[in-house]
Amino acid sequence: MVTESFSNNSGGKYRNLYVVIEHIEGKLVPVSLEMLGEARRLMDDFNQRYQESERVVAVVLGYKVQDLCQQLISYGADVVVYAENKELEYSRNTIDTKVIAQISRDAGLAKQISPEYIPPYIKPRYMFFAADSIGRHLSSTVLAELESGLASDINKLVISDIDFRHEHKTKGQTIRYERTLEMYRPDFSGFLWTTILCLDNKNPEIMRDYHPQGCSIIPGVFNAIEPDIAREGLILQYKPTIDPEDLKVKVLNKQMLKKKIDFDGHRIIVSMGRGIKDDPEQNVKLIEQFARLLDAEIGISLPLSKRLYQLSDSINSKYMIPERVIGTSGSKVAPSFYIATGIHGAVQHIAGMKESEFVVAINPDENAPIKDESDLFINGRMEDVLPIIIEELQKLTPIVSSHME
Amino acid sequence: MVNVAVIVKLEPDFSEGNVSYNPDGTLNRAETKSILGPHSAIACNAAFYTKITYGSRISIGTMGPPIADSALKQAQELTDADEMNLYSDRIFAGADTLATAEVLRSGIVKMLDGNKIDIVFSGHRASDGETGQTGPQTAWKLGYTFLGNVIEVNIDLERNYVIVKRLVMLQGFDGIVEEVEAPLPVFITVDPSYSPNYRTIYQRLAFAKYRKEAIARANNYKQFLKIYDSKSLGVDPKFVGLPGSPTIVYRVEKIPKAKASRKAQLIEGQDIDAIKSIVPKLRPIVS
Ligand SMILES: Cc1cc2nc3c(=O)[nH]c(=O)nc-3n(C[C@H](O)[C@H](O)[C@H](O)COP(=O)(O)OP(=O)(O)OC[C@H]3O[C@@H](n4cnc5c(N)ncnc54)[C@H](O)[C@@H]3O)c2cc1C
Ligand SMILES: Nc1ncnc2c1ncn2[C@@H]1O[C@H](COP(=O)(O)O)[C@@H](O)[C@H]1O
Repeated sequence: MVTESFSNNSGGKYRNLYVVIEHIEGKLVPVSLEMLGEARRLMDDFNQRYQESERVVAVVLGYKVQDLCQQLISYGADVVVYAENKELEYSRNTIDTKVIAQISRDAGLAKQISPEYIPPYIKPRYMFFAADSIGRHLSSTVLAELESGLASDINKLVISDIDFRHEHKTKGQTIRYERTLEMYRPDFSGFLWTTILCLDNKNPEIMRDYHPQGCSIIPGVFNAIEPDIAREGLILQYKPTIDPEDLKVKVLNKQMLKKKIDFDGHRIIVSMGRGIKDDPEQNVKLIEQFARLLDAEIGISLPLSKRLYQLSDSINSKYMIPERVIGTSGSKVAPSFYIATGIHGAVQHIAGMKESEFVVAINPDENAPIKDESDLFINGRMEDVLPIIIEELQKLTPIVSSHME
Repeated sequence: MVNVAVIVKLEPDFSEGNVSYNPDGTLNRAETKSILGPHSAIACNAAFYTKITYGSRISIGTMGPPIADSALKQAQELTDADEMNLYSDRIFAGADTLATAEVLRSGIVKMLDGNKIDIVFSGHRASDGETGQTGPQTAWKLGYTFLGNVIEVNIDLERNYVIVKRLVMLQGFDGIVEEVEAPLPVFITVDPSYSPNYRTIYQRLAFAKYRKEAIARANNYKQFLKIYDSKSLGVDPKFVGLPGSPTIVYRVEKIPKAKASRKAQLIEGQDIDAIKSIVPKLRPIVS
């Protein structure tokens, strides 16, 4: 790192891309490495384009986390800032928010991160969090504390210079916003893409700087880089100030949920989506029968977990449950066979099943995006297609069992 | 007695059969009716649970256009709320979550005649493709301890503490149920999987009684309604609406079809023999 020569000793109030890392029981949550991968790609391009030397800074809070720091360097971080404290062992929103805000605002630290840098430093330029049970809320409170903007559930990022005119932000003038992070988020339907920008107010009447430009990133959409254990980087310990008042919030205990649904233990997964709608009860029974013949586990798309249909209580409590959801809001699976029936193939769903070895889709809409993730696409309704396969499987099953004897 | 607030949102009704789409696949907002958002309703159920179990005064707040009072009415039916507050002003329009949180913070401190609210409940996320940021950001501005993904709420009235269970799901790990205690006041976003557990006969009777009362009250909901604009709320116009929003929606586009990551072999639904041909592929796995 230090051997680098800097062509541009640039100053500025905002600097570097901070990535807030999540880990549990000494292991990194995969999305943390995915965020680092994307951060690496963005900042390599940024530094080249703007003749800069801004860093990817991984921020880790916890207890006994030194081991993780080296890993983060090999996965693309230039600098790791870690706050090590028994009180940070479990994530607690208030304490974590304050510590991350301290790290973000610390000008002395910024100077250590970039020795060539000329202050005044105020805050990070960009900030990434995971869009999961921890990061979704942590990103909200950190950005509220730093008084800046946040976009959630992002699956594409671009940095560019944008000419922009806005009644409030620019008082109707066209102004160039350099180095703007374009944050793309797919909407609930998986159909529309909204680009969110976090922009300073340049209107003299309501002047305000909004940095960092923050976002939370959907797990499973970006790729981590190949780890390189020879990669060098700077590891800095940070000593946070912790308010004893905040320690009154206590994690009393943690209980692992017993997994009722065992996706990993099955080689075939049959999943169903809103395509069951024409005759929900009957279609679920078909799928049940189909899955039983294949010794498959049953998955669902997110909307089904919201119990959209009039179904018997037993079917609802057995199948229409969050534990069966496949995708970013549920499980990521990689069976030998993934059979998607009545599933459209929204990005959030695809992220959960794209690693499957062989994918079959049954869907009457040839334009459904699931087709592009399938090895075999059966262009038909499940009511018509499944009985044919089931009948054929029933013929096969006796052979299989006699074979096993 | 605990003072409880719920912040709720009027949202398009996305439930099956109610939602209407334009030919190009975008939401037809004119045709789709609006209701109390499903996550807001879950937050209401949690507030009602505290009323039945611990006795609480409930105040509901929403920021939105005048018609958002219909969400307040529905919320009163669910909670038997003592008071409802509508924060409505043209200058609130276009707010992002930070600017929304600013309005809600100002509203919450005025609830129940300025008595301190012990617990604020909000929904996990709005269903019209929104963020889940409004709750935690409002909590932060209030200076309340934030507890997210809560699936069970217990109050220790003697110590003035809550003890909650939270559902934590992280990519690649088994779900965790975490038990957390925190001194009041707290801000809770309720997990979508929350459902109140009325165990005792007393609770069930109280539920039936209050629910009946709630429906009667909600018929006259306007009696319980307070309407605030930016002035009566005392917010600085620079911190709300568009001027107070760091983020803007820059562009909305159809998600272009991703490059196919696999090349699907196509089988027509009428082609029975071809459909049957997938069975041999499955066979080595089944056996
Ligand atoms: C933050 C966020 C996270 C999300 N996370 C997830 C997630 O983890 N997992 C997830 O699945 N979704 C998730 N979603 C929702 C996702 O965007 C889609 O809305 C959802 O996956 C669509 O479900 P679907 O395919 O079942 O329904 P639809 O999109 O309604 O598709 C139904 C499909 O069934 C087909 N069909 C119709 N009739 C039949 C028939 N008779 N036989 C067979 N097929 C038929 C139709 O052609 C259509 O393709 C998330 C959304 C957001 C905003
Ligand atoms: N305008 C609003 N008024 C009151 N509560 C809101 C408003 N917007 C969001 N909320 C609350 O915040 C939750 C999450 O919304 P969102 O951050 O928009 O996804 C909702 O379920 C509501 O409880």
